[in-house]
Amino acid sequence: MNILTGTISKIQSHEGISLIKVRSSNVIFSSIVLDTPETAHYLQVEREVRIIFKETEVIISKDLKANISIQNQLSCRIESIKKGVILSQINLMHEDQIIKSIITSNACEQLDLKENDSVMALIKTNEVSLSAHD
Amino acid sequence: MIQFHAYKMLQTADGELPLDVSLTFEKGQFIAIYGNSGVGKTTILRILAGLTEAEKVDINVGDDIWDDSLKRFHLPVQKRSIGFVFQDFALFPNLTVKENLEFALSKNDSTQIVSELIELMELESLQNSKPQNLSGGQKQRVALARAIVRKPEILLLDEPLSALDDEMRFKLQDYILKTHEKYQLTTLMISHSIAEIFKLSDKVIVIDKGKISKQGTPNEVFAETKISSKFQVTGEIISITKSDIIYVVQVCSGNNIIKVVATEEEIIDYKIGQKVLVASKAFNPVIQILL
Amino acid sequence: MINMEPLWLTAKLALITTIILFVVAVPLCYWLAYSRFRFKAVIEALISLPLVLPPSVLGFYLLIAFSPENAFGKFLSDYFDLRLVFTFQGLIVASVLYSLPFMINPILSGLKNLPPALQEASFTLGKSRFTTVTKILLPNIQASLLTGIIMTFAHTIGEFGVVLMVGGSIPEETKVVSIAIYEEVESMNYHNANVYAGILFAFSFLILLTVHLINNKSRKTTLY
Repeated sequence: MNILTGTISKIQSHEGISLIKVRSSNVIFSSIVLDTPETAHYLQVEREVRIIFKETEVIISKDLKANISIQNQLSCRIESIKKGVILSQINLMHEDQIIKSIITSNACEQLDLKENDSVMALIKTNEVSLSAHD
Repeated sequence: MIQFHAYKMLQTADGELPLDVSLTFEKGQFIAIYGNSGVGKTTILRILAGLTEAEKVDINVGDDIWDDSLKRFHLPVQKRSIGFVFQDFALFPNLTVKENLEFALSKNDSTQIVSELIELMELESLQNSKPQNLSGGQKQRVALARAIVRKPEILLLDEPLSALDDEMRFKLQDYILKTHEKYQLTTLMISHSIAEIFKLSDKVIVIDKGKISKQGTPNEVFAETKISSKFQVTGEIISITKSDIIYVVQVCSGNNIIKVVATEEEIIDYKIGQKVLVASKAFNPVIQILL
Repeated sequence: MINMEPLWLTAKLALITTIILFVVAVPLCYWLAYSRFRFKAVIEALISLPLVLPPSVLGFYLLIAFSPENAFGKFLSDYFDLRLVFTFQGLIVASVLYSLPFMINPILSGLKNLPPALQEASFTLGKSRFTTVTKILLPNIQASLLTGIIMTFAHTIGEFGVVLMVGGSIPEETKVVSIAIYEEVESMNYHNANVYAGILFAFSFLILLTVHLINNKSRKTTLY
């Protein structure tokens, strides 16, 4: 699990579903949740929340200006790589936060990922969970 | 409106535990009482029914007073308009199903309600059987029907579905809901199942160590959990196995075993037998219809 | 030919004792099973006392108590014109006390084995204590009731010590079979003693057989 903390900056709700923008250091995360400020008390602008997403949902791109639909894009530096037979874990450094990604070893080789490479970590909006920060 | 206040010192395995509960609810509501075992849930129902005495009890049902500790007034069980479904059913072994229901009639009551309930609970084929020949679910239906014969104002259900398998539970939940609505009962039910509480109740009261720790609609009490993910299961870790550079954690929840992938850093904190919440975004799971 | 009178007297004594004890035992057992009286154990111990006490001890105390020379006996004879020493009435009172545990114990354990929720369920259905006892509790302890009745009847028939102390051996008044046997043996009429003894033996065996048959049957069909 990757857990970052951030502050809610914007909430857009419609028919029970909300798009939440959360600022974490200098990046704005997007998260989509089946809740509204009426059903979840912590969904308030300026509230501190935790941003949670699974390692296996972190996509890595070497193209630093990719023109794709994924909203959450973090520029990172590869800190270390742990290679397995099928899967590999890439530990990324975004500012001073560690973000982990698990991708297939094939993909890792295809992209020729090495330590200290600059890459983009991409996370789909619907893969980001929020949790009240307490 | 029904107002209930009771104070009673309970003797538990861990020593004395003061039960101190104040409740107010409206007629026609379906109230669920939720909490760990041994925290006084059954005692609350029994005090309301007049079966258990307490150091201090004040119960008002509408304009009627059932208990007034100041005036030392206690309305006997028999005079209270209640139906009580006991955890172990308490059917009368010497009477048939039909006779169990008829026993509840008062002298001049018409027997029509008995036939009506036998039909409603689908007990026609069992009405001449003795309780010992019935299955758990059937006993439960008889106990529920018997409790309603007198058309009580308040129906008290002491964990009525805990001993049944899932299929039977779902059916009986429907029977309970049907009778609650048809006879405009005010129902209080002890339940350990959150799904059941969501399905049946308007209001849930969480009891912890003799006190109300939380109350509100099931949504307010249970749904506002710690994480926004909507696909949630609580369970116990039963195994952690390494596979390649990741780990597969098996979690047992009720009768289901699910598998979750975790990293090496995460599993350091996990132990076999640990209670955990498994959550995923509602966007990921797919639904397949079973035959 | 033996004298049939002691046999009839014995049967009459056993029947009356059993009826009185049944009427007394049901409410007493209900109270013992369900009340939270603090000194219940004392009462239960007193009831069981005749099981261990030598019959002559009980008979002796009863004789003293019933004697018109003493307060209780005097009270009975002054106010009720009732003499309990060496009379059939006296035998009944003595038998009731002596056979008390044989009626109480089976009924009490029957009631205690019933799930408490049965009585509570009946109460929540608006039924009185009396209706609950007669319609629900008693019908569900039929085997215990029958055991109590049969054991009391049989035990009363077999009494000797208490009867001898309180009743003596007055023909057609207090001379029951067990006393008759004793007297026949004393006067060397072994044949008559044999007939009386044989009848009692066969009767007692049949009764115990019945009790065991009832108990076996009720064990097969569980109550709950």
